[in-house]
Amino acid sequence: MSDEKPAYTKPLPDRRPEGDRFWEAAKEHKFLLPVDESGTPFWYPRALSPRTLQPVDYIEATGTGTVYTYSIHYFGPTKAYKGEPPYAVALVDLDEGVRVMTNLVKDEPGYPTLDPEDVEIGMKVRVVFHDVTDEISLPKFTPV
Amino acid sequence: MSEGTPDVREARRMLSKGIAIAGVGETEQGKLDGKGSFQLLAEVTKTTLDDAGVTLDEVDGMVTAFSFVESTLMHSTTLCDYLGWAPGYFSSVAVGGATAPLMAVQAMHAIDAGLATAVLCVRGDNTRSGISSSGMMAMAREMSHGAFEAPYGLSTIGGYGLLAQRYMYEHDVSGEALAAVVATQSEHAAKKWNAMLRDVVTIEDVMNDRMIATPFHGMDCSLVSDGAAAFLVTTAERAKDMKTKPVYIAGVGEGYSHQYISQADSVDSVRQGLGRAGRRAMEVAGITPQDLDVAEIYDSFSFTPLIALEGFGICGPGEAGDWVMEGNGKIDGGTLPMNTHGGLIRQAHLGAMHHIVEAALQLRGEADDTGVNDGGNRQVPDAKFAISNGSGGILAATSALVLSSEPPSAS
Repeated sequence: MSDEKPAYTKPLPDRRPEGDRFWEAAKEHKFLLPVDESGTPFWYPRALSPRTLQPVDYIEATGTGTVYTYSIHYFGPTKAYKGEPPYAVALVDLDEGVRVMTNLVKDEPGYPTLDPEDVEIGMKVRVVFHDVTDEISLPKFTPV
Repeated sequence: MSEGTPDVREARRMLSKGIAIAGVGETEQGKLDGKGSFQLLAEVTKTTLDDAGVTLDEVDGMVTAFSFVESTLMHSTTLCDYLGWAPGYFSSVAVGGATAPLMAVQAMHAIDAGLATAVLCVRGDNTRSGISSSGMMAMAREMSHGAFEAPYGLSTIGGYGLLAQRYMYEHDVSGEALAAVVATQSEHAAKKWNAMLRDVVTIEDVMNDRMIATPFHGMDCSLVSDGAAAFLVTTAERAKDMKTKPVYIAGVGEGYSHQYISQADSVDSVRQGLGRAGRRAMEVAGITPQDLDVAEIYDSFSFTPLIALEGFGICGPGEAGDWVMEGNGKIDGGTLPMNTHGGLIRQAHLGAMHHIVEAALQLRGEADDTGVNDGGNRQVPDAKFAISNGSGGILAATSALVLSSEPPSAS
């Protein structure tokens, strides 16, 4: 059995310096949340805090939250999704009070998508990290 | 009429001079093999000038939009070059689906500032036959945040789906209510000479169509098309000398709540954000939703008009689905006929250009294609006020116009 992973062909995050803290931590399977100078978390990571335009700090999130909404995608935005089973794109409200986009997955090797009938608004979820390349671990969410 | 805030009073001052739409035009829509983006723009320029009864030399301004096919950072002057024309004012607008009403607003500002007296607003593209697969992917990716949304495989359809599913959950709205928008507009498109889809479909037909991204079936989605449309914005004074009965811009408004869908606070914040565009346009016009006769409401997906109808105050929160199911949006017997040309879902997708063209035709009393390419009579009797809007992104940025069949009253 080869250790070599098949090439990952789905969209990867645009990497910019302002996202480095987040992605470096994600590699260590930690979910960092940017916070403004009052300690209030916001999403998404950026160079300056929204509204106040002050410097950004980070806290580690608990990694638990609630599904705010979802859409089961039967067709993806690129060819890389051809032949895939329908997958769940969701917005999850983290317990810290910010809303993030994610996929809802089973906690199994390769983190396959949750079956559509198992997805509902309001379900409690926790983060898992899907190591899609050596550099990128995508936070995804699985039912608690 | 209420006195209004200073910005509303200023908008009324500008519009009280009389800003008219004195000509409209549209090409065939669909798959127009071999026709380039600028050819379509040139053809519709001719149609629109003919409608107004003017020549290019009598027009002194132009506002264009953008192309998904021809990459140019100088869209308006590239078209000027093609037309062999050097107007005194030129500009382009790019705010996605909100572009068309904003083109009218920009023309209005140019006229108010004395930069031009007759401004051609023209948009068209060969999106269906000309776009590359990488262009399609780039379009889909533009809807997502490149770092924190795109990696999850969000499609444009699914982005709207996220909001639609939450709306349906909060207000207990069924998929049939969304399908009723499609069924209603299919009846209207059947009578529009250049609509791409002319067959009348039922709620059941929509529900049986294949699922693309929940809650949307194929027929819930807007079309991809080649085609062009235009309208000529001018002063009431100059419109008197033109061939066509002018209609008048009575109110304008914009509204915004988020760019990326993960940044939207709630269903209601989106409803209020986009709704501001229509509410403000009506406030400037000094009318209420009860005064509207026609609603040409942006319909990127079947869900899109529902939240706009609510945001504009035409329906209460969560009530637009029942409103459509009860037939209120139909030309035949409806209380406020909506998307009387079929909209993006049944006619063609050119942002909100056709919504403005159709609103103008309704107020002119000329929304009748009987005898033209198997078209029919779509005219709403005695239409005096129409609202028309466009939304860019995933219900992110909205611009709305209220048009009137009558010039502003001297006050």
